[in-house]
Amino acid sequence: MSACEAISIYIHIPFCTTKCTYCAFNTYTNQESLIQPFTEAVARELRIVGSSAPGTPAHTVFFGGGTPSLLTPRQLDAILQAVTDSFVLAAGAEISLEANPNDLDRDYLAALRSLGINRLSIGMQSAVPSELALFARRHDNDAVVRAVSAARAAGFDNINLDLIYGVPHQTLDNWATSLNQMLALQPEHVSLYALGLEDGTPMKRWVERGQLPAPDDDLSADMYELATERLTAAGYEQYEISNWSKPGRACRHNLQYWYNLPYIGVGPGAHGFAGGIRYSTILNPQRYIRALQNDAADCPFPLTPAVAEWTALDQRGEIAETLIMSLRLTRQGVERAAFARRFGVDLLDVHGETIERFARFGLLSVDDERVRLTERGRLLSNVIFRELV
Amino acid sequence: MKPTHIRNFCIIAHIDHGKSTLADRLLQLTHTISDREMQEQVLDSMDLERERGVTIKASPVRMKYLASDGEEYIINLIDTPGHVDFGYEVSRALQACEGAVLVVDASQGIEAQTLANVYLALEQDLELIPVVNKIDLPAARPDDVAQEVEDLLGIDAADILQISAKQGIGVQDVLEAVVTRVPPPEGDSDAPLRALVFDSHYDVYKGVIAYIRVVDGEINKQSTLRLMATGATFEPVELGVFSPNMTPIDVLRAGEVGYVATGLKTVRECRVGDTITTAVNGAETSLPGYEHAKPVVFAGFYPTNNDDYPELRDALEKLQLNDASLVYEPETSQALNFGFRVGFLGLFHMDIIQERLEREFDLDILATAPSVEYEVVLRSGEVIRIDSPALLPDESTIAEIREPWVKIQIFTPEEFIGPIMELVTKKRGEYETMEYLDKSRVVLKYSLPLAELIVDFYDRLKSITKGYASLDYQMDTYRAGDLVKLDILVNGEPVDALAMMVHRNDAYSKGQKLVSKLKELIPRQLFAVPIQAAIGKRVIARADVKALRKDVLAKCYGGDITRKRKLLEKQKKGKKRMKMIGSVEVPQEAFMALLSLGDEE
Repeated sequence: MSACEAISIYIHIPFCTTKCTYCAFNTYTNQESLIQPFTEAVARELRIVGSSAPGTPAHTVFFGGGTPSLLTPRQLDAILQAVTDSFVLAAGAEISLEANPNDLDRDYLAALRSLGINRLSIGMQSAVPSELALFARRHDNDAVVRAVSAARAAGFDNINLDLIYGVPHQTLDNWATSLNQMLALQPEHVSLYALGLEDGTPMKRWVERGQLPAPDDDLSADMYELATERLTAAGYEQYEISNWSKPGRACRHNLQYWYNLPYIGVGPGAHGFAGGIRYSTILNPQRYIRALQNDAADCPFPLTPAVAEWTALDQRGEIAETLIMSLRLTRQGVERAAFARRFGVDLLDVHGETIERFARFGLLSVDDERVRLTERGRLLSNVIFRELV
Repeated sequence: MKPTHIRNFCIIAHIDHGKSTLADRLLQLTHTISDREMQEQVLDSMDLERERGVTIKASPVRMKYLASDGEEYIINLIDTPGHVDFGYEVSRALQACEGAVLVVDASQGIEAQTLANVYLALEQDLELIPVVNKIDLPAARPDDVAQEVEDLLGIDAADILQISAKQGIGVQDVLEAVVTRVPPPEGDSDAPLRALVFDSHYDVYKGVIAYIRVVDGEINKQSTLRLMATGATFEPVELGVFSPNMTPIDVLRAGEVGYVATGLKTVRECRVGDTITTAVNGAETSLPGYEHAKPVVFAGFYPTNNDDYPELRDALEKLQLNDASLVYEPETSQALNFGFRVGFLGLFHMDIIQERLEREFDLDILATAPSVEYEVVLRSGEVIRIDSPALLPDESTIAEIREPWVKIQIFTPEEFIGPIMELVTKKRGEYETMEYLDKSRVVLKYSLPLAELIVDFYDRLKSITKGYASLDYQMDTYRAGDLVKLDILVNGEPVDALAMMVHRNDAYSKGQKLVSKLKELIPRQLFAVPIQAAIGKRVIARADVKALRKDVLAKCYGGDITRKRKLLEKQKKGKKRMKMIGSVEVPQEAFMALLSLGDEE
């Protein structure tokens, strides 16, 4: 990669107080004693990557998890210090943190602000008590309301709220309730996720055993359409299959992924893509911490002793991934000129027939500049992606 | 060896009643193979046979036995195929024998197919040696079963041997009984050669190997030979006996059993039941009973992957080398592209062939639902035969459609008579007789359209009788029926591979069931897909597959985009196994849907 291309930095915090019933992310409960050594390991990992490509500019930082709000301000500070020491962090960089609403009291929020964290992503998930109970979330709706107003008071002007739809037993009315509650909080950014039944989660087991009804795809589609309508009316712009924002408030960090541009991933089980290499780090926090005590002298950028797997992305793979990621961006889609510049081939020469077919079915819209998902195509995007890989 | 010291016999038994185990013991006892070579069920050489515990290809074996009278005998055990589909082959194997050992399980008693084969044996005047096997099992009731055999066959229960082949109990007595009770072969060793072909297999180097029983004269390697039915002539490449491996010898005389390697390139030139004689000064008349085994069940075989068509063709060709009753011709389907219409002796035969194609040739096969061969009388008076519903001519040109019927016998404990009656009636069967085999078991006889038998009759019979009933059938005559072609339309297009012939009275309910079944099997597409059942132009049933609305990856961030791409790639490969009908993707199971409709309302 060229040293002048600004990267993004993802920091994975693999700790939670309780594990949600739908979650298949790399997170662990009852491992609080590891948080401090983990913090030091992450800082080391950042310094190793930074030293193998000195002077690399960075323009976004994202603390994701897990539950990043389990870290103390001091621990977050140590990590951010390593970021600024190792990379050239742009002025006005977007620094996001995912948080459980219960953790966001006034003092903590003030500390986050003073660390330079300027964007909060709050896991609201639902405003309906029975749904929150099904998810085994440790907050209730009041906690979300309190957290958002405290965040506003602390000066946060860029807040994202997450909601989940397509939940067993969820009705269209329940969904409207969650949407209304969420809109009342006037977040700058909204992420709406269809519930996925992931391997190894209690939710999937319950559905498989018949203890819970499977999500109904038609109802989920209705919910998505209702949300699109409500959010548009409330002045939000959709910019990705699952993401809406107020004008100018799209998440810059996530856009980096969707543009298929380079990012560093640190922390256990984080993924990164830089220098044409996709890699992921050791999943287990203890082994991750131990690996970073090893000598890192010979690690070429972007690798570190914590990397478990890596693969150089070939052109075919890169084209496929770029297409999938770009199409997810509902407003921008695939820019045909940019595509031709990046890969040296015309998009329609590679996939003309497929694109034309899905355009006929009303899933894609094609003009001279772009190929984009239509409204119907958004919920059926996997059908298209399958033909593009 | 003089004919007086030759004994030719076979073993008749129901599946699992212990035929193979008994054969193994006989081979051991006569030192035909050493214990070291002993491999379970030596006679069944194909894996598939060993797994299913049935014999598909008969293979004879020659044993030397020093009997208690102090004389040495040559004993030929001629193995017979164990399934009703191969009835004709069984009859030829029986014709090569003078005696038959009837093995009956000591806890289960006699079964339908066994009895059918016993009757065949009696028709050929074979000496019958009944044996009650598995007397060592806790559930054995050897005396009751012996009594049942006496009642059925009129053989004194006291003369019935009680053995356990597995434990080796009474096996020697079986050999003694064969020597003392089975008559030596008759036949004129000075007459012109007549040898019965009772089976064959194909060998790449030696051509078709005919398994033969010399009836008259002698066969040697010097004379040019002729097959009397097909007219093929050949110079024998090798002559020999099975002991149990192929062992060359110079001459086979009247009464002996062995093989002749013909050098012929296809089994069609050397069919089971044909008579071999010398090309010069040969016999005037052939041995009786030659028939051309005719396929009665037909199905389309298509490669799942269209590119495998040449491999499928080669594989069928190779299988046919060994199996003269397997017939096939190229068939084209709009839905399934290029494949073959394959004819079989029965459903079991079809199963075996499909499994061998998949296992031995590593092919993925899509088989359409089986059909029978119909006779269609046109208004012009012409009669045509069709083995696929798709070939039925326009309704307006048809005067009459005739379908094959079979005679079936069902052996069952009496408590299942009611459910069986109900099943047969539903399947358009006609009751003929019922006889008691003993106090609690009956044999029911019906006539039934073959088309009803081949769909799911056997499975349903097994299920309503908890597995207790056994079934046998013989082809009967063709009868006219009020038959119609039920077309299935997917998204408005008729799908040839789904068309079926049904009785007019069943058309509505079968159409309903089939469209609902297909609705379950066909995944939702980008547009709503109507599935219709129609007779001619009239739609009689319809179900709609709703349009797909959601297939989305909700969360896709930097994380594992490559993993997600790979997942999509895998799903894409999975979709390749679907068949395109117009623009509708149809999974393979859909083409077998009509086999699993069931009768539950």
